Formats: sequence, C-alpha cells, structure tokens
Amino acid sequence: MSAAANVSPAVAKPAHVPDSLVYDFDMFRDPAYVADPHERILDLVKNAPPIFWTPRNGGHWMLMSHSANFNASRDTESFSSEFIPRAEMAAMKAKLPPGMPHIPLPVPINVDPPEHSKYRTPLQRVFSPKSILALKDSINALATELVDSVKDRGNCEFMKEIAEPMPVRVFLKMLGLPLDRQDEYREIVSQHLSDPSSDARAMIPKLQRIAASMNDTFIARRDNPQDDIISMLWKIEIDGKPTTIEDMQNYGVLLFIAGLDTVMNGIGHGVRHLARNPELQAQLRANPKMVPEATEELLRRYTFTVPPRMVAKDIVFEGVQMKARERAMLFLPAADLDPKEFANSDRYDLNRENKVHIAFNAGPHRCLGSHLARVELQVIYEVLMARLPTFRLDSQRPPTFHCGHVVGVDSLHLVWDV
Amino acid sequence: MKILINKAACAGNARCAAVSEELFPLDDDGYIAVTEVDVPPGKEELARRGARACPERIIIIEEDK
Ligand code: HEM
Repeated sequence: MSAAANVSPAVAKPAHVPDSLVYDFDMFRDPAYVADPHERILDLVKNAPPIFWTPRNGGHWMLMSHSANFNASRDTESFSSEFIPRAEMAAMKAKLPPGMPHIPLPVPINVDPPEHSKYRTPLQRVFSPKSILALKDSINALATELVDSVKDRGNCEFMKEIAEPMPVRVFLKMLGLPLDRQDEYREIVSQHLSDPSSDARAMIPKLQRIAASMNDTFIARRDNPQDDIISMLWKIEIDGKPTTIEDMQNYGVLLFIAGLDTVMNGIGHGVRHLARNPELQAQLRANPKMVPEATEELLRRYTFTVPPRMVAKDIVFEGVQMKARERAMLFLPAADLDPKEFANSDRYDLNRENKVHIAFNAGPHRCLGSHLARVELQVIYEVLMARLPTFRLDSQRPPTFHCGHVVGVDSLHLVWDV
Repeated sequence: MKILINKAACAGNARCAAVSEELFPLDDDGYIAVTEVDVPPGKEELARRGARACPERIIIIEEDK
C-alpha cells in the first residue's frame, strides 16, 4: 500500500479560491511531512504560495509567511478562536439533562477578545516569569533524576523515558494532582494524541474524561487549600465572581491539553537536533550559559504548533479572498522559517542576531505557559549536557514523527558511550 | 536615549526583561510595568537589544538627537 493512500480525500475547491492559491497538502498525513516534518516545511516555504488553500481535511487555508501569521494572530475579528459558535454551545448546554457532566470549554484559548481577558488575566500571575522561576530547582531535580535513570545504559528511547514523563510530572506537581496517578495521566495524554481529530465536537468526550480525572482533587483543594495551582485558582475571581467547579474543569482541561504534549515534543525536536550535531553539544558543554540562546534558536528552527482559526466574516486578507466559516491554520513552523524574516532560515545559527520567533504565537493568545515551557526546555538541555557524554541518534532506529496541530516526535532512540 | 513602550499591546512575552530586568521591569502579572525609560549612559546597546527582542514589536528606541 502506498503511503499516499492514507491521505484524506480532496474536497472541491470553492469558487472564490483561484487555482493559483491551491496547493495540495495534508497537514496530518502528507507522507514526506510525517517522514521528516521540518524538511517538508522548508520545501513548502520554498514552493508553496505564502497563503494557500488545500483541499485536504475538509479544505482549509494555510498561512505560511511570517507576516500573514503575525497579522492574523492579532486580527481576532477576522480570525476567531471560537470553533463552536456561542449560540450553538449555549443550545448544547441547555439540552443537557440535569446531572450530566459539564462540557469543558478550554478557556481562554477558545475565547476571542474582549471576553478572552476575563479568563486569561486571573492565570497571568500564576504563570508569570517570577512564579515560574521559583519552580526551577524542583524541575531541575526531576530532570536530573530522569536522565540519571538511563545514564549507565548507554541508550534510551528518549520520548517515552524522558520527554514525556518530565512535563507530566511537572504538571502534576504544579497543579497538586496525586503523583501516584502519573501512569493514568500519561495514558490519557497518549489517548488524547493518538486520534488527532480536528472536529471540535468530537473532542468533547475526551475533554470530559480529562476533567473527570481531576475532579476529586478539585474538591479536596476547595475544602483544604494547599500550595498549588488548583488551590490558587479557587481563590481567584473570574469576571468578579468566585470560581465554580465548572471554571475549574475548564482551566484543568486547558492546562492539560496546552501544557503536556507541547513541552514533550519541543524537547523531542531539540534533542534530536542536538543528537545530530555533536559540535553544538560540545559548544554548550563548554559554555552552559549559552543554553538559553540555544533554546530560542531551537524553538525558531523547529517551531511545531499549528493553531487553528475560523474566518469570522468575509474578508480580503493580504490580497486573498476568504469567506466566513472557512478554516485557516496559523502555520507557525513556516513563519519561523520564512527567509524574508530570517536570512538563511534553514540554518541553525546560535549567533543569529534575530531569533525573535513566534513559536509561542504573538498577540492576545500568546502562550500563557511560555515561561514555564522555556524553563523546562532549558533545564532538560542543561541537565543532558551536564550528565551525559556526547549522545547521537541510533542509526538502526531513526526517529519517527506525527503531524497535526502539534508536529511531534513519536520515538527518538539515542545512544552514547559508557 | 529613551525607550518608548506601547504598554497596552504588551502580551507578556517578557523577552525584553530576559535581556535586562533593570531597563525593562515587569509587574507581578509579567507584563511590562513602564511606558517610558530614560536609558542610563552605557546601557544603550542593552536597550536596543531588549527592544529588538520583543515579539510584539511594541518597543521603540528614541535615539538622542
Ligand atoms: C514548548 C512548549 C509550548 C509551545 C510551543 C506552546 C505554544 C502555544 C501557542 C502557539 C499558543 C497560541 C495558541 C493560539 O494562538 O491559538 C499557546 C497558547 C497557550 N498555551 Fe502554550 N505552548 C507551550 C507550552 C505551554 C505550557 C507548558 C503551558 C501551561 C501549562 C501552556 C499553556 C498555554 C495556554 C493556557 C494557552 C492559551 C493562551 C490564551 O489563549 O490566551 N503552553 N501555546
């Protein structure tokens, strides 16, 4: 069976889309993309139009250029993050029989301004650079423990053994969820990832499962606060009203889906690059102070999230006619490889002057967890440099990937001399 | 030299403060705390670097005339 057989069927092109803007690309299953994602993205950057329409996955726009992504992320009146219209959501909720589980809404990521800030502002302090810095030592201890557990073996499957458990444990610890339920959460994460549906309604049961897994802890912290995020969230006000159990479920689901597979895959892309570039490892071992800069350039070179938007009204955007209810992907990985913005964009260049990437997006939805993510990424690179000798890819077992809204690493076999 | 900041558009990236916490102080929520800073002598290059680091492009340097 050829790989192309797995690509989703093409839909007919709407009349307002000119032929010149059609480019056939399946953002979940394109074979070359899944084989080596960022190589394929470089190829798209060179050969596809800066904004194009693909007939795959129901048909949607792809915003490629840095300027298109930068401008669309700010223009929330044209590019909405609300996929289930508010009226439809209200109708769905009204129809729920009493006692049925709440439909968790990942706020603020799926809410447009001005409502957006009601849900975002209360979280801001919890995730500020200052609050996050206080966690650095415990994140360091955790990363050290994970790396030391494989050190003497001379090899590991980095994703399962380090990249995945690390953010899950940080998350459980920060939220105050029981650590002995780690395996359960890891299972929910992999379930969540295994079926990358782009249908917002199909997501609802999964979101309910995540919310249900946290409910006991929500109640326990409400009655008996501790020093963790769940207890802090009980103390905040949303739009002048005290938090309800539904608000807690919304936030829990949001932090779960935004903070776990993102960090894990960011680490995966970065460590793969390090494994292929022993000279960079040598440079960082000699000068660990360069790790934060190296982290920024890894984020730029391997930007890996693709936030979706709904075109909210008929518009002409950067010369392209788009219609209300069409979907547009902010293809941030391409934006950060745009040669108009970054000279020799395919080069990993630690001394590049402009490393101002939008891997965390820009504008109102700019990643709330970016400070935490940066600390997790920097810490794992520091610990790997400090604890392991030069590591490389296992030539017998090359890395494997998956693509979608998160472009991620499935397996990453590393070897080193012991 | 002066730093001028369009504070209302700050999204809390905190990249300026990663260059210099002294020139670019943040509030407790992680947003920029000031709209205008007089750059002390000797800190000009740091100010320029901090301005360039802003992903939102809302920090402007006013060079001395
Ligand atoms: C390297 C890791 C990460 C990357 C690349 C990343 C990327 C992003 C991006 C691109 C967005 C914007 C989405 C949009 O515009 O629709 C976003 C939003 C968000 N991220 Fe992250 N993220 C990461 C880690 C985290 C972590 C660790 C957390 C928290 C625990 C987190 C929490 C959030 C939240 C709450 C939002 C929604 C913000 C809003 O809508 O105002 N992220 N992230």
